[in-house]
Amino acid sequence: MPSDPENQAPSQTVGPEYRPDTQKPTATVSTNLDHQNVHILAQTPQLIALLTMIRDKNTGRADFIFYSNRIIRLLVEEGLNHLPVIEHTITTPVGRNYSGVKFEGKICGVSIMRAGESMEQGLRDCCRSVRIGKILIQRDEETSQPKLYYDKLPEDIAERWVLLLDPMLATGGSALMAVDVLKSRGVPEDHILFLNLIASPEGAKNFAERFPKVRVVTAFVDMGLDAKNYIVPGLGDFGDRFYTM
Amino acid sequence: MMSPTSRTRYSPPWGNASIIGIAGSSGSGKTSLALAIVASLNLPWVVIMSMDSFYKPLTPEQSKAAFRNEFDFDSPQGIDFDVLVDKLNDIKQGRVAEVPVYSFEKHARLKQTTTIYSPHVLILEGIFALHDQRVLDMLDLKIFAEADSDLCLSRRLVRDVKERGRDIDGCIKQWFGFVKPNFYKYVAPQREIADIIIPRGIENKVAIAMVSGQIQKTLAYKSAQHQQELSRLGKIAEDSPLSPNALVLKQTNQVRGIHSLIMDPKTTREDYIFYFDRMAAILVEKAVDFLRFQPTQVTTPQGGLYMGLKKSAEVSAVVILRGGSAFETGLRRTIPDCRSGRLLIQTNYSTGEPELHYRALPNNIAEHGLVLLLDPQMSSGGAALMAVRVLTDHGVPEDRIVFVTYLAGRVGVNRVLNVYPEVRVVVARMGDDMEDRWVETKYLGC
Repeated sequence: MPSDPENQAPSQTVGPEYRPDTQKPTATVSTNLDHQNVHILAQTPQLIALLTMIRDKNTGRADFIFYSNRIIRLLVEEGLNHLPVIEHTITTPVGRNYSGVKFEGKICGVSIMRAGESMEQGLRDCCRSVRIGKILIQRDEETSQPKLYYDKLPEDIAERWVLLLDPMLATGGSALMAVDVLKSRGVPEDHILFLNLIASPEGAKNFAERFPKVRVVTAFVDMGLDAKNYIVPGLGDFGDRFYTM
Repeated sequence: MMSPTSRTRYSPPWGNASIIGIAGSSGSGKTSLALAIVASLNLPWVVIMSMDSFYKPLTPEQSKAAFRNEFDFDSPQGIDFDVLVDKLNDIKQGRVAEVPVYSFEKHARLKQTTTIYSPHVLILEGIFALHDQRVLDMLDLKIFAEADSDLCLSRRLVRDVKERGRDIDGCIKQWFGFVKPNFYKYVAPQREIADIIIPRGIENKVAIAMVSGQIQKTLAYKSAQHQQELSRLGKIAEDSPLSPNALVLKQTNQVRGIHSLIMDPKTTREDYIFYFDRMAAILVEKAVDFLRFQPTQVTTPQGGLYMGLKKSAEVSAVVILRGGSAFETGLRRTIPDCRSGRLLIQTNYSTGEPELHYRALPNNIAEHGLVLLLDPQMSSGGAALMAVRVLTDHGVPEDRIVFVTYLAGRVGVNRVLNVYPEVRVVVARMGDDMEDRWVETKYLGC
């Protein structure tokens, strides 16, 4: 574990404002980042409890899937708020005017295989018939650099807002490459939203600095990376826990 | 938050139940009379409680005597008046009363109890309904049912043999050994303190109509009182700004976009249901934030330690029918195995008064960490007030109740929160004070 105080996990009481501090439990919350384009979900006790479930190595697969899905839906709901809308006034069933909004612009999801695919259900829960492209990036055994193996994206992706899906952001190698792929297909950087469950501070910083216009929505920025570049304390291999374990 | 002294009170229509006592000799037709009165009214809040439920459990010797038909069931000593008074008190105050069940086959109290809750009028029938002074003090109407003693004996014979598994010799032994002497000693004197004496039991249509009429008057009075109560609470609510305990969802672009789709009458029902479910899930996620958590440390698969939280107790829900059922898909997305109770509260067409028709709640609801009350619309707040009251009557602490709704008016919300200042309301949008209930109509398609 890192002993550098800068790298200590922040611990604080969590709970609603109206509740006195003495009645709020203490827990480890997300590390704060200064980057304007990184949006961390509000650290409510509920969110911390959900993360506690999926981090626990004793949580079985069914619960792991269910509780991840709940967090993913929160991420999607938050992410969608960054999409543009246009003013749209309607008349309600009781004859009143409501100045609402209409969703504007086409969207699509792009999951970074395989872990990113676990987020597709959560996306579909909020956007029923959304198109979903896929990107497969693997680490090259020889160079230990990420390598693009496969991609299948909507043809008109350049005209869409893209929700890029990957639950874990460790070093950020694959996510950076995925954004490069999207940009090469003509997607403007500021039309990309990266949805992520747990990020390492290094990975999030790297990503945010390299693509300052891409918005990152994450549930939690963890303490750091270990020698094998795993996020600590992390939750293990997300894909394994979701699909095969 | 309001101090307990400035707290406004709400008394539901069952808050001060009227109790009618019907006494009379064994076989005099008390039960049929009570049934006939209830049947003529046909309302769920007029119920019968039989004093047979309050027989004292017998000792082994008494029990043996009872099986030999040598035990005196027809003296007031056999009745547990202390328990009866206790239960009548509960009912009178609008609390949940667990009434014992007595088995005549076993001469013992059974383990299970029956629940009496929220009657506006209770009919207590039993040979000694007008015997104990403490009971008499609680009665609003005292009735004595009278019948010819030959008729009583023959009725009793038929009942005991058919329904209570006795033999004819035993019944006759009981009659002359206990029933008849006790009648003169204890039962007949009750005649003197009765308000009405009804001869000929259920054949006496005039008497039944009279009593029913009297009860109807009582009910109408209670209903008027309740409506007055609601409008009194409304006046208090009108003058105050929206209570800080009402949490309105942050009106983000997505939330406003979903509102636009839900409220636009041109949206297809298929889309409407999809977006309502999505909104319901957002609301439920917001509401479960009020649960209390405690610290816990977990180990991650790579052996890292994480200081997190776990919930302190389970979250359950109570669906206010029928509208609340629109929330169930959203609820199950967040808590798939959520225990859920149901309350059917309907607004009376002619009076506009909310009425509690049906109630089925989880047994241990008082121990749950959080109880979500689900209803897509809160307009006057009358039904909500009643639902919260039902939960507190069942022992749920006020600060563990979250009322979750899609659309609410300020007066309605305040009406509830003035009375229950520790309850929270989570609402997606504040609307008019008295909106039609269109949300559930469109969701359910009728």
